[in-house]
Amino acid sequence: MGLDYKLVLWNKYKKAYDKVIVFSMLLYVILFAVVTLVFNSQTSIETLVIRAFGSLAFIMLHIILVIGPLARLNSNFLPILYNRRHLGVSMFIAALIHGGFSMFQFHALGDVNPVYSVFTSNMDYGSVTNFPFQVLGFLALLILFVMASTSHDFFLSNLTSKVWKRLHMLVYFAYLLIIAHVFLGAFQQETSPFTIGILVIGFMIIASLHLITAFREGKIDKTRSLEEDGWLKVCDINEIEEDRAKICTVAKERVAIFKYDGKLSAINNVCKHQGGPLGEGKIIDGCITCPWHGYQYVPHNGQSPPPFTEKVATYALKLEANTVYINPVAFEEGTEVKPCNY
Amino acid sequence: MNYGLRKAHKYIWLILVFIAPIVIIFSIKDLDVFSSEKEGESQIESSKKVNIRSVENDLISASFSENKIQIILKNTLKNSSSVVYEADANGNKTNIIGQLTTAGIYSFNSISKPKGIIISDDLKNVQITKLMFK
Repeated sequence: MGLDYKLVLWNKYKKAYDKVIVFSMLLYVILFAVVTLVFNSQTSIETLVIRAFGSLAFIMLHIILVIGPLARLNSNFLPILYNRRHLGVSMFIAALIHGGFSMFQFHALGDVNPVYSVFTSNMDYGSVTNFPFQVLGFLALLILFVMASTSHDFFLSNLTSKVWKRLHMLVYFAYLLIIAHVFLGAFQQETSPFTIGILVIGFMIIASLHLITAFREGKIDKTRSLEEDGWLKVCDINEIEEDRAKICTVAKERVAIFKYDGKLSAINNVCKHQGGPLGEGKIIDGCITCPWHGYQYVPHNGQSPPPFTEKVATYALKLEANTVYINPVAFEEGTEVKPCNY
Repeated sequence: MNYGLRKAHKYIWLILVFIAPIVIIFSIKDLDVFSSEKEGESQIESSKKVNIRSVENDLISASFSENKIQIILKNTLKNSSSVVYEADANGNKTNIIGQLTTAGIYSFNSISKPKGIIISDDLKNVQITKLMFK
């Protein structure tokens, strides 16, 4: 969480995360080169670079796509989510090297503009198996470029979290384009059931994790609370751990009810930064702390502590015979609400 | 995520689960992914049994098998036109099958069963070289 915009707000966790990324990428490229040269010493350096970085980017994209649902299903994966944007930008760099070398080798040595050549060198757009697969890769690279270039908090803040999140959901479309790019391109020459099988399994794992998470979340969304005089019954107060929250669903939106210092406060569960689940965080130094990136909010007014300006909606609570009730009508974001004492 | 984004994620993945397998199936349905190495080896062995006739001179190396003619042009010719003709048993031009440009390997489909090839500069109307298959 930073007040002004810096290129990277480094801390020891981010440094460690990035070291692991860089080391893993280098290790993969070196291993790929060694294995390729051992089994096919005739491979040119351009082909080696194209294949090494193309496969690296695709593997990294798979990892990026499973982090989200894994973190939702098991909080032990949250540390991987913390710096996912750096992983995304690294993946884009690998994809750019793959795309750049491919365009240079196959399209830059003629007398036609390389980009024009990508779209016109194979005009068999009506075919399925002979479709110009390089176009698909080029479009996916454009999407990844837009995502990487807007990944900084500056764009997140100025585009608003909602627009930014929708923009970055284009990664799923890019993933589909890349699947088609690989299957209609590389796999038409390298017809190994092993590599095809690996990618099919990869897709099945990613899709299954996303759908399992989606249906689980959908089930929670459909949870109905008992209503008494306009108040919704949530839970017994003893069900909430100290400095932790109970998440309930109010008018299809999640609300986090925190228990701290003999008080109860309720705020909207969605962090203003990247939509992290605030109710899965805890109270640190008197503030609700988002488990994703550490953004903080004061429990009784939903405001980030000064000088920060993020605000979330707050809710009124009441306690009757150890039962917690919530008023489903949200207050304006950042509205002060007197905590419910117990 | 709020309710809208959760819903959007769910529908996006339901669509992807439907579309991606279609893309994958259509792209691999015509591939011979399960042919074994032995089958590959037997194809190579059988190809060796095809009668290949080869001839060579200083300019080119040419081979003829089945209905394919392969020409290896050793150096780029100085002639401005290098048209490749099939030749009959008498060494006369019959069909045009293509032309040569820079040094490299060329593969042409033969129209008849040629007895040789003739490379001709049709602009100057001179014969560059003639090779008869043995």
